[in-house]
Amino acid sequence: MSYAYLFKYIIIGDTGVGKSCLLLQFTDKRFQPVHDLTIGVEFGARMITIDGKQIKLQIWDTAGQESFRSITRSYYRGAAGALLVYDITRRDTFNHLTTWLEDARQHSNSNMVIMLIGNKSDLEARREVKKEEGEAFAREHGLIFMETSAKTAANVEEAFINTAKEIYQKIQDGVFDINNEANGIKIGPQHSPASQSLNVGGSGGNQGGNCC
Amino acid sequence: MDYFRKVLGAPQDVQTTSGAETIERLCERVSSSTLLDDRRDAVRALKALSKKFRLEVGTQAMDILLNVLEQDRGDSEIIGYTLDTLYHVMSNEPTDEGTYQYWSNMAGTDLGGQFTEIFIKHAENVHLLLTFLEEYDFHVRWPTVKLLTVLLTNRQKELQEIILVVPMGVSRLMDLLSDSREIIRNDALLLLNQLTKGHANIQKIVAFDNAFERIIDIVRDEGATDGGIVVEDCLLLLQNLLRNNASNQNFFKEGSYIQKLKPFFHLDDDPHSKQAGWSAQKVTNMHLLLQLVRTLVSPNNPQNQTVACQKVMNQCGLLQDLCSILMASGVPADVLTETINTVSEVIRGSQINQEYFASVLAPSTPPRPAIVVLLMSMVNEKQPFVLRCAVLYCFQSFLYKNEVGQSQIIQTLLPTAADAHSITAGQLLCGGLFSSDPLSNWFAAVALLHAIVENSTQKEQLLRVQLATSLGSPPVSLLQQCCNMLSQGGKLQTRIGLLMILCGWLADCPIAVSHFLSNTANVPYLISQVSASEGDEHEAIVQGLCAFLLGICMLYNDDTSEAFTKTALKQIIQNRIGLESFTDKLTQVAQNENYTRAAKKPHLYHKHPSEIVFDYEFTRLFKSLENEVLKAVSGTGSSINGRKGGGPSTEQYKHLLKDQEDQLILLRQRVEELQNHTIDADRSIVELRSQVQQLKDQNALLKAQKGSHSSPPLPQPAVSNFSAEEVESLRREVEILKLQLQETNNQLLNSNLDGDENKENNPDSAAVLQASLARQQGELKNKDEEIINLQLELEKVNILLKQKSSEPTDSVGPDTTSEAETRLQATEEKLHSVTEEKQSLQERLKKSNEENLKLANTIRVMEDEKLAAEEEKKTLKEDLETLRKEQDDLLVLLADQDTKIDKYKTKLKELGQEVEDDDDDDDDLGDDNEDDLDAD
Repeated sequence: MSYAYLFKYIIIGDTGVGKSCLLLQFTDKRFQPVHDLTIGVEFGARMITIDGKQIKLQIWDTAGQESFRSITRSYYRGAAGALLVYDITRRDTFNHLTTWLEDARQHSNSNMVIMLIGNKSDLEARREVKKEEGEAFAREHGLIFMETSAKTAANVEEAFINTAKEIYQKIQDGVFDINNEANGIKIGPQHSPASQSLNVGGSGGNQGGNCC
Repeated sequence: MDYFRKVLGAPQDVQTTSGAETIERLCERVSSSTLLDDRRDAVRALKALSKKFRLEVGTQAMDILLNVLEQDRGDSEIIGYTLDTLYHVMSNEPTDEGTYQYWSNMAGTDLGGQFTEIFIKHAENVHLLLTFLEEYDFHVRWPTVKLLTVLLTNRQKELQEIILVVPMGVSRLMDLLSDSREIIRNDALLLLNQLTKGHANIQKIVAFDNAFERIIDIVRDEGATDGGIVVEDCLLLLQNLLRNNASNQNFFKEGSYIQKLKPFFHLDDDPHSKQAGWSAQKVTNMHLLLQLVRTLVSPNNPQNQTVACQKVMNQCGLLQDLCSILMASGVPADVLTETINTVSEVIRGSQINQEYFASVLAPSTPPRPAIVVLLMSMVNEKQPFVLRCAVLYCFQSFLYKNEVGQSQIIQTLLPTAADAHSITAGQLLCGGLFSSDPLSNWFAAVALLHAIVENSTQKEQLLRVQLATSLGSPPVSLLQQCCNMLSQGGKLQTRIGLLMILCGWLADCPIAVSHFLSNTANVPYLISQVSASEGDEHEAIVQGLCAFLLGICMLYNDDTSEAFTKTALKQIIQNRIGLESFTDKLTQVAQNENYTRAAKKPHLYHKHPSEIVFDYEFTRLFKSLENEVLKAVSGTGSSINGRKGGGPSTEQYKHLLKDQEDQLILLRQRVEELQNHTIDADRSIVELRSQVQQLKDQNALLKAQKGSHSSPPLPQPAVSNFSAEEVESLRREVEILKLQLQETNNQLLNSNLDGDENKENNPDSAAVLQASLARQQGELKNKDEEIINLQLELEKVNILLKQKSSEPTDSVGPDTTSEAETRLQATEEKLHSVTEEKQSLQERLKKSNEENLKLANTIRVMEDEKLAAEEEKKTLKEDLETLRKEQDDLLVLLADQDTKIDKYKTKLKELGQEVEDDDDDDDDLGDDNEDDLDAD
């Protein structure tokens, strides 16, 4: 499975807001109503296509509990994108966003793309945080915003893909230093300068393209 | 420097005191001097003394040195000396100056550990060290790495927790791998090895920070397996990161790192390098590389994980490379063994990989399948023991969940497929089974067991195998030959191997059981074994297995053997052996140390031939059938409570609960079905009712139609009835009129008789009367005519009716009458049947309602039962818990006791007392303790 770029994501937010469910919905396309508490960090991966390019997403789903906070912090620096998730049916998870954001800004590289996600949009009846509030928070802090439902899969794809698009755009704009892997971005094997130069000498210039 | 030299030259007893004094003086200088140069010199001097006088420097200088680390950060030189000094104090590693080790030994074995504890008491000290890593200066960075490594080595858990909490702590250590100075990078590998040991969260962070990529790059740059100890460190670190860490394994697979491992397995084809042989380092590296692969496909990993990795390993050609190592020449035996183990786990349970493995050919002339070549070494006494174990493991893995493979192996044993010219797996297995080497017997028996396990077709096929024993004598079946060998005694492993294959063969295969029982010598042999008095531990195993085999004969007995039917066998067991004794012998098997060892994992990790007793697959069979055998033999059928021991009873309750739950589900389904049924029935009743109504309506309509049809053209029967009535009434009228006529006639006569006198009085009345009479007579006549007319008409109608009824087909007009009649009749019949049906349906409905009620009741009862069982289970669990606690307490007590004994012993020793007797006691205690643990 070749790819043009590899992006590393992390998912952060209070415990129980549905981080693991978002990941499961994105990677396995299924919803698990009863999920065990995430211990530490769990890994998931999926391939997406942006602008005709294969992009591999490696996603680290973190534990929301306070006791795992120090572990979570170790993942900020190496991530290109972060999904900051709150639960629209629990006001307190929205109130804690500022703390999360401070933490993220402090420990991550400054170019990390942060997507704010109001999850559980299927539970409209129990809504405590208005969509406008989420939008306002995102505008104020320069985040992308989206409401999702890991249960119905609404906007889940979009959340992950839009984040990737934003990162991709930043790469095109030259904001990201793609040669520094600490940024959470990696160029795919057949796209790296070394193998490209190999291809130049080879008989088939499109050999690299074929193996995608 | 001269005070320093003085110290070294002095005699030993003076050395300590003067060393301590010097250190004291130096410490004072470090703490009081205002000049940096002065302090630096003093620290350098301390560093020089720190290897020799660890205790003194550690106790006196620790705080002062920590102070220096904080105060003099600006001067890398003094920091470097300080770090080195601390490193020497903490390190328990033997130094170059071996003669002086004596001093540190005097102060206890773990001096470094104690100083480490003091150092990390304040986590800030560790934080400080981590900030030193930002310093690029070699004199700071390198000693920091070394110091951190030694701290981690001494107090791993504590250090791991401290570093985990430091923001970017782990990441900073990871960055060291990118240091351009090799020595720092290499020491960083050692540091990371210590850091990641047994800590899943740190392992994940390290992996997140691109560890896999960087380490694999280092391995490649260092020349892969041809590389030095750095490669070894790298591979150890990789293994640390992956072992028992599903998330990292998934990341490793998703990151396509398996593909990157593949080139490392490619053996050099260059004949020169082959001749050179394998260096010790290369052997180690290859070993670690193979173990790395095994970590990814270990049978103990989550199954989906293993399956996914197996698939990748086949796709990227890693399995192919492994198989070529397997068949290559010049590979050292231990590498070959590990390669076989690795191939085993890469193919285990994966159909595609198993198929590939079956197709691998060894480069011999003529080419033979790799499986055959491997089996040849398995049954060859001269091959190393571990290699033979690995081959068996490989063979087992090849057959695991592989029915095709199983049938292929059994095929080679069958007479039809036998090819005289080539060696087959079957021949090798038979050869091994009947060789004089007990280990070969065991290996072959277990291999054969795996060829038929959970595969009743192959069990039956294997019954067909006949062996030619000696010239002239008739062939003997394989089954009988196994029994014969068993009864001849032989070595322990031979007998256990045979018993295991027999148990596996007969289990779940009534035909094999009846074959076995058809030889009347077999059962008496087993009886004699089981009823024998207890021998040593090994005999106990044989006896237990014989009991198990006997139980299987009973359990899967289809009563075709007249001498040994199910009941007969039960009788024999109960009378000749006794239930108690039988149970004891059987339960002994699972209590055996070797059994628990074998049951742990499929891999055969034996180090010595004497450890070979049980097979993993057999332990599974035993576990699954032990209770059933006991139940069957004890015979009461519902002897669930008859079994002993607290352990299995929770199991029983679990089973019971499960059964009940299943039953509950079944009943629920049943109720649902019945409810659906009633709903259907209700619906059909409603339908039928409406049908009845419709029919009634139709009926009425038909009647009405009939009415409307009859009046205009021809009088219809109902109308003819009506006209008959009319006729009747007319007749009656006529009668009345006649009577009236008679009366008037009489009156007239009377009046004529005595009425001449009246003639004059009433001359007119007679005329009137006569006129009226005449009129009435006319009227009567009219009426009569009318009656006749009507009668005629009636007759006509009747005739017509008859005509119509007799020849309905002739009728062309709207003669619905007869048709209607028949239809009427039909509908009436239908109606009748419908009402009957309805009645029966109502009855059924009633019945099903009753049944529903009953089921609901049973469900309630079952739920109560379930609750009760759950409660019981809880209490049992609590009991278990308390027992465990008690055991823990006891263990703690024992440990205390041990230390006390130790103390007393040393004291006694010091007092000059001989303490050998105590040693024995102590050993016994220890043994008991171990036994207790095993029993659990």
